[in-house]
Amino acid sequence: MSPEYSELLRQRIAEVIARYPKKEAALLPVLHLVQRETGSISPEEEKFIAGILDLKPIKVREVVTFYTMILRQPLGKYHVQVCSNLSCTLLGAGTIIDYLKEKLGIEIGQTTPDKKFSLSTVECLGACEQAPCLMVNFDYYGNLDKERIDRILASLT
Amino acid sequence: MVKIFIDDKELEVSNGLTILRAAEGAGIPIPHFCYHPAFAPEGSCRMCLVEISGLPKLELACSTVVREGMKILTASEKVIEARKAVLEFLLAEHPLDCPICDKAGECKLQDYFEEYGFFASRFKEAKEKREKKVQISKNLILDRERCILCTRCLRFLSEITKTQDVGVLNRGIHSEIAVYESNFIDNHYAGNLAELCPVGAITDTDFRFKTRAWFLVKKESICPMCSRGCNIFIDSHPGFARTPLAQRVYRIRARENQDINSFWICDFGRYHYSYIDQGRQERIVLKKEAKDTELSWEKALIILAEKVKSLVYLKKKSRIGVILNTWLTNEELYLADKVFKKGLGLENIYVVDPPSEKGDDFLLTEERTPNRRGLKEVGLPDLTPDLGKLALQTDLLLIFGTFLVGRFSVTELKSAFDKIGTKFLFAAHKSALDSLVDVVIPTPLIAEKGGSLTNVNGKVQSFSPALDNSLGLPEWKLLIDLAKELKINHKPFWQLSSPQAILEEMGRGIPFFK
Repeated sequence: MSPEYSELLRQRIAEVIARYPKKEAALLPVLHLVQRETGSISPEEEKFIAGILDLKPIKVREVVTFYTMILRQPLGKYHVQVCSNLSCTLLGAGTIIDYLKEKLGIEIGQTTPDKKFSLSTVECLGACEQAPCLMVNFDYYGNLDKERIDRILASLT
Repeated sequence: MVKIFIDDKELEVSNGLTILRAAEGAGIPIPHFCYHPAFAPEGSCRMCLVEISGLPKLELACSTVVREGMKILTASEKVIEARKAVLEFLLAEHPLDCPICDKAGECKLQDYFEEYGFFASRFKEAKEKREKKVQISKNLILDRERCILCTRCLRFLSEITKTQDVGVLNRGIHSEIAVYESNFIDNHYAGNLAELCPVGAITDTDFRFKTRAWFLVKKESICPMCSRGCNIFIDSHPGFARTPLAQRVYRIRARENQDINSFWICDFGRYHYSYIDQGRQERIVLKKEAKDTELSWEKALIILAEKVKSLVYLKKKSRIGVILNTWLTNEELYLADKVFKKGLGLENIYVVDPPSEKGDDFLLTEERTPNRRGLKEVGLPDLTPDLGKLALQTDLLLIFGTFLVGRFSVTELKSAFDKIGTKFLFAAHKSALDSLVDVVIPTPLIAEKGGSLTNVNGKVQSFSPALDNSLGLPEWKLLIDLAKELKINHKPFWQLSSPQAILEEMGRGIPFFK
């Protein structure tokens, strides 16, 4: 095992693997564990995971590229995820997205040069009652308008 | 056994069979892309949908198992509609570059489109642009626009070669077959993928843009590159009336035989076909002091027979040597045994084959010659000649094949051959031996003659000529002529007129060939 991964991570991976009848089955939880430590799954991480789970790296990459929440590039400090599904769009998500793009100076899927903000759109966040809404890392913000976005971004340092 | 009805045809089929297999067994074709008999059903292409009475929706024929009394419709209006819809979706992203596609003419997508529609697409949106030339192995090119994601290639590499070299990356419309970074598919069965691909997504650089499938004449044959005896198709181009081609064979493909090679052949057998068309002997030549004279077989036969007769008459038959090889068929080895060993009573009969090479644990064997087992069963000794000894004890040497060149250096051969009075060479190819012998007699290759071969496991397989041969007489014919000329064993041999007749005769004498 490569020395760049912590002892704690190795221990957690071993625990997860022990939970399943086949090593391969632990792929998703292991991806999450590694991503939590490294921030993203680069080719090095793919090979590392393939090595532990006795898989070919291509098998790991299949899963990595399938799931949007497994990241291939590290994100900024704050990951701004704006809902672009039906309720939010009806209540102006389009304007919100455009405003965020303008304000952060980046397109969807990009990260600001100072590595502070990453912007992406997501399908339904399950918070239609406060549409339009967005998530910053694990926090929800609803009933958005431009002023509220200014305040949210200002509060993030 | 269960009783089922397919299109009102009553069938008794075994339990556990899928509808598709049951239908195929009854001669009812069900269109499919992703299903392949060698793999577990995948059910991803949706082309094999059939109607089952009592079920509200169409079911997959490739993965639905038959049940007692099942009534299946394979050509109802609903089924045809479904097939059209599946095709329409597949074609929504397919580039339709059939005019430049090597698969055209043997493409399932093309065939089914012709069968089910010629409909115009209702999709007005532009098609996705994808990479059209991704190298995925030494010989294979992947075209992601043509790919219909049946995953046959992926399943071949995970179920048959177990190397798992490719995967499906991304999701939805962005899904694509890919290798890991620059890790090419690295096993010598990869050539099967081009054949396995139901569309033109995986093409072979060996065949790419060389010719069109419909020009090729497809004939059955046996692969002679090792002792496995894989069943193959030899696809050859007859040439055009005004432009003859330098090359006849354009492709070797696997032919199904569940006892030997299943559906596959190795890349060694697949790509080494250029020997069929290159460097061939064309004429019977008498070499005399730097001047070559062309001979007819009748004349060459008389010269040969006279030499043999004179040595036998002088009680010098121990000074006749014969070098055989196991590219010869069972019939030819049998005749060689009858003529040289039993008929003339020769003792110096040797065998020179291509050297053994590393095999693998699937099809490719170490013996790079097709009929060593046949030699053993015929009862000929497997002796390698000692060149020095051979040179001293031989006045007349009959050499079959050019494999001496691979075993000894030309200098060694020359110094030995200089001491031998007369040398006859029966060979398909030009080689360094040509200038060392007195008479060269061209012979056909296995692809050009009929006969049978015994594979490494003792399975005798007959084959017919896959290519026409205007270059030489097959060895079995030469040996019969020689036997006639020498008046050996006249009864059984002289009437034998085909490899089949010889094999029957062999069966009477050797129980193995019965």
